[in-house]
Amino acid sequence: MSRDPRERRSGLSRREFLRRSIGAAAVLPSASAILAACSKPGTDTGGDGGETGSTERVLARPDNPVTLPMKGEPIPTDTPIESGPLRVYNWDAYMYKKVLKAFEEEYGVTVEWTTFNNMEEGIQKLVAGQVQADVFFPTTDYVSRLVEGDLLQPLNHELVPNLEANYWKTFSDPGPYYDLGWRYTVPYTIYTTGVAYRRDLIDDAAAAAAGYDLFFDPAQQGAVSYYDSYRDALGMMLLRNGVTDANSDDPAAITAAKDAILQMINENEARLTINGTYAKLPEGEFTVSQSWSGDIVGAKWYLPKGTPESVLGYWYPPDKKGLVGNDTIAIPADAPSPRLAHEFLNFFLDEHWGYVNFADWNGYQPPMNSIVPERLVEEGVVPESLSLAVLGEENFTLGYLQGELSADADALWLNAWSEIQAGG
Amino acid sequence: MRYPRWYWGSFTLPGSVWLAVFFVLPFYVVLSVAFGTVDPLFRLPLPVYQPWWWSFATFQTTLEKFYAGDRIYFDPLLRTLMYVAAASLICLVLGYAVAYYTARHAGRWKGLILVLLISPFWISYLMRIYAWQSLLQPDGYINDAGGLFGLSPVIWIGRPVTVVLGLVYGYIPFMILPLFGFLDRIDQHLLEAGRDLGAGSFETFRRVTLPLSKPGILAGLVIVSLPMFGDYYTNNLLGSTSTSMYGNLIDSAVGQAGQGPEAGSLVLILVALVMIPMLYYLRSTRRTTEAA
Repeated sequence: MSRDPRERRSGLSRREFLRRSIGAAAVLPSASAILAACSKPGTDTGGDGGETGSTERVLARPDNPVTLPMKGEPIPTDTPIESGPLRVYNWDAYMYKKVLKAFEEEYGVTVEWTTFNNMEEGIQKLVAGQVQADVFFPTTDYVSRLVEGDLLQPLNHELVPNLEANYWKTFSDPGPYYDLGWRYTVPYTIYTTGVAYRRDLIDDAAAAAAGYDLFFDPAQQGAVSYYDSYRDALGMMLLRNGVTDANSDDPAAITAAKDAILQMINENEARLTINGTYAKLPEGEFTVSQSWSGDIVGAKWYLPKGTPESVLGYWYPPDKKGLVGNDTIAIPADAPSPRLAHEFLNFFLDEHWGYVNFADWNGYQPPMNSIVPERLVEEGVVPESLSLAVLGEENFTLGYLQGELSADADALWLNAWSEIQAGG
Repeated sequence: MRYPRWYWGSFTLPGSVWLAVFFVLPFYVVLSVAFGTVDPLFRLPLPVYQPWWWSFATFQTTLEKFYAGDRIYFDPLLRTLMYVAAASLICLVLGYAVAYYTARHAGRWKGLILVLLISPFWISYLMRIYAWQSLLQPDGYINDAGGLFGLSPVIWIGRPVTVVLGLVYGYIPFMILPLFGFLDRIDQHLLEAGRDLGAGSFETFRRVTLPLSKPGILAGLVIVSLPMFGDYYTNNLLGSTSTSMYGNLIDSAVGQAGQGPEAGSLVLILVALVMIPMLYYLRSTRRTTEAA
């Protein structure tokens, strides 16, 4: 059983151990890193005793939700608000600067903004101590590991009243499956993963009839984009092949998904991209693209002048049995300004600012009670042609969520992905 | 004045320290990552610095991916060899012509031509490739220009020819500059002697200029081909997974949790591969020096 780092009898805490060892991999080895590595890495010398991660991990699933262990106590409610700066560690371009400015003005602090390109990079820099943050944006599959690694601090719910006031019950009562009781995280954005297409070239009815098979339509040859992200890419192809376990550890199912992606690449000249939907589809380079709902909603900002928003289309299974997920906001265990960080969380969960961040900037919807498709269409945030890109609470009961994989299953997925990356 | 023995030797100290800090240590870290392990929690690479604890299992598994089972790494390796060979050859042919003209016939324009040759470096390589990406779009200017001659639009992005030409575009200045240096230094009297002995222009070029510029050709080939072996961004921007090169394998492994040791192993295998042309170059230059 893990303990609070302050209760450890001796030696390095797991966080400290990881910090030194991984820090040494990330940069040239410092003398302390080399000394820290005197014991064989992979063997935790901390108070837990035994091999790091040697116990079987419980993988959170919607039908097997987890309550994360409390690592210490949340900060007291009467903690004074620090003078900043507030250090935000986030994905690039995932937050509206106008809203950050509003936060700075309201609290009289500055916000320091540091970005990462993928979760692995984000975690590595956090663990190695290269980045010190007050607010971090982990994906759901990393939340329990971050807690186990003593990298997050529990939240004081009294300081974040906007969650229960403004957000779907799914995320507060009883809380999301990966963090029941939202002990460590609040939701940031939600999204489905579907098929974006150009309506000026592909008929809505044809797109609906084809569904995922639109990626294989010979008429779209050379104009197909698919996400360069192994969980999303293989996950959607599993569904297309009729496998509804989005976290499958079945080698045959994963091989079939991999083969389908290779077929799409080799026969239909599909390309793996990250900006295919939000940047290249509106520019006309692609006609079909695997798409997070937020990407296609935000694609309007990239349309050439004179091109109407109505050219953007989005297909998602009408029975809502498709990929769905959300991102989170959390406070690192060693945040220098934890009270200010709580204020930041509450600020972004505010109805007004959460909406402005979504509607005027990133296109990714927060799970707010006040956001309904009719309002978004009426206010011109989402064109009618993209109404399927708006989520409702039921998406999280009907859809398929991708959680953390076991090490063995992850290796299966990554091996398949390596083969795709190598060109098949 | 006689200097102590250590005096001249001490001149190598700054360079040796530089190499030790910025080459030997990082290389040792790569070894430690390749033969190390991963943290079971986040699956991030955990380097093992003590050689007696090194594990070669991942290295062996990575190596086997080139020749055993589905040989998933064999195609990218073969592709890389072919692309690098083709791009280097094109760089040589085009670069030699430009360097030859600049050294022999440019006259007072020599300085201007050299400045123009270097001018692409004023703009970031990434920005220039982004520009090409835009030009090569199905509705880009390249296809528009083709349309004026009745040609149908071509999908350029993701094609091997585009990647090879992208490599040529990126690296050709590195071929031209050393070639120019060698060609410019060839003694005019040797060329005149060739003419005096009855050789025509072509024969003088074949029997005098070309052999004398061989070290420049080798240096240029080494300078352009070595970085091409590890290049991944050209294919990232102009290619697709069906044109994946060796550098893309490393890039992909570095970015995936749990694949740190595999990324390190791929780097070591690449180092072993590029040692072959490097050793040939060293051997060849040593022979040239001895002959001189």
